[in-house]
Amino acid sequence: MSSLLQILNRIMVLAQNTLREAVRNRLLYNLLFFAVLMIVSSILLAELHLGHSDRIYRDVGLSAIAGFGSLIAIFVGIGLLSREIDQKTVYIVLSKPIGRWEFLAGKFVGLAGVLMVQVVAMGACFLGVLWLQGAEITGGLFQAIGLIYTELVLLTALALFFSTFTTSYLAGMFTLAFWVVGHLLMDLRTFGAHSEVESLRLLTESLYWTLPNLDRLDLKAEAAAGLTSQGVHVVTALAYAACYSLGLLLAAASLFRRRDFH
Amino acid sequence: MSAIRLRGLSKTFRKGFWMKPMHALRGVDLSVREGEIFGFLGPNGAGKTTTIKILTGLIHPSAGEAWIGDLPVEVPESRKKLGFLPEGTFFHDHLTGLEFCEMHARLLGIPRAERRDRIRDLMVRVGLADSEAKQIRHYSKGMRQRVGLAQALLGDPEVVILDEPMSGLDPVGRREVRDLILELREQGRTVFFSSHVLADAEMICDQVAVIVAGRVVETGYLADLLGRQMGGVELVVEGLSEERWQELSRASRRSVGHGMRHLFEFSDEDTVEKALDEVRRDGGRIVSLVPARRSLEDLVVERSRSVGMR
Repeated sequence: MSSLLQILNRIMVLAQNTLREAVRNRLLYNLLFFAVLMIVSSILLAELHLGHSDRIYRDVGLSAIAGFGSLIAIFVGIGLLSREIDQKTVYIVLSKPIGRWEFLAGKFVGLAGVLMVQVVAMGACFLGVLWLQGAEITGGLFQAIGLIYTELVLLTALALFFSTFTTSYLAGMFTLAFWVVGHLLMDLRTFGAHSEVESLRLLTESLYWTLPNLDRLDLKAEAAAGLTSQGVHVVTALAYAACYSLGLLLAAASLFRRRDFH
Repeated sequence: MSAIRLRGLSKTFRKGFWMKPMHALRGVDLSVREGEIFGFLGPNGAGKTTTIKILTGLIHPSAGEAWIGDLPVEVPESRKKLGFLPEGTFFHDHLTGLEFCEMHARLLGIPRAERRDRIRDLMVRVGLADSEAKQIRHYSKGMRQRVGLAQALLGDPEVVILDEPMSGLDPVGRREVRDLILELREQGRTVFFSSHVLADAEMICDQVAVIVAGRVVETGYLADLLGRQMGGVELVVEGLSEERWQELSRASRRSVGHGMRHLFEFSDEDTVEKALDEVRRDGGRIVSLVPARRSLEDLVVERSRSVGMR
């Protein structure tokens, strides 16, 4: 049996390859360019708006990090696993003495690394704009950026999960749909609670408890208003995302283990 | 001990909306001895690649068992001493040849101290020393095949599985691969390869198995298989009269004429002796006289037809 150190080494090799592949992917730079453009454009938007310019810098900046980060997580993330399967590069890797779950873990760690670099780059640009404009930099901003990254990691786990059993196109569509619904779960639950149809209430309630509740990871509004959230809220959100991601990865590993590569 | 063993290996795929079963393998039994070159031959869709994918852990069998050495293929450790080159050279194009080999060497757990030297040696051996810093996307088909072979040999494998290693290569490339396979046998490794290029397989294999429609229909040492139903002699002559050509054609098992030259295949020596006398009397020239030999191609085509494929 492989020792833990050997397993970790193989996971890191696969993660490094994923990171290297992403770094050599043009789509990533295109998305990053537009994210930075949007963050910088907040200066212009604040000029056009009367008052609350600090809030506009923060609102636009955090939305750009979250929005473009999600696009990167979904499309670059799915591309990096689906390409391995579609282009059959997975054959040569899986014919080595490695477990299939190690391959998935390597991909996941690599993608999480790619996203970390993205979020740090976009975050640095965002904080740079705030600093140049003399806007206040609060602890809430760091909390919000941290939870945006957590959301992106959860989205990556979701994208990996779908990629293990469907095409890259469908995996992209499913992840995008879960991302949208994940931000509407609170509203859906409230809508269901006010409904007189019992089955609709049950449906919205079960969706609320089973689908990833991405609103729990969203502190953008508070941070834009200059507020800092309670530590317990952040820790609970982190634990929630970690458990959900782990569940998705275990399910993905189970599906991937049984998959035949034609 | 067998380097590779298959027992009752079956694989059924389910295709389409109605999940119609498609039997790719139907109870394949096979044993490959250590240190031999084993050719796995058969027409397209016969089940060669499915068998190889089961051996390399890419596909799960529906029934039966397969072993590499004494380890079942379901265990990742069975691939520790296995080198594999898949058909179609699908590699990570964003990597350079060197980075690609480096990644696979690390996956195999080759210590850093050995890694560089082993990669350099292999790059020289496959003729890619000057192109190792180029991204694989810029490699030609032959270069891709060679970098694939280099990664297959990185782990100093005891068993090397090559899926169509000569497919798409020019004659020089095919010869290089052939030589490399022979070199691997000299080093005591077992080589299991599938191929459509039967002439190449005939030149280098010790044993072959012919698979048709998911069943192994023939297996054994090449000399034995091709020796069976051999017998007979092939005579090529020039300058025969029309009358003599007709006469010898009737006496021969097979005859082909092209211009002044004629080929006859006789089934026994007496008939050949008589034919030679006739040719001399007629003033014809004997170009060659060789024992008729069934080729591997004849064998594969024959066995494919016998089970209704082609």
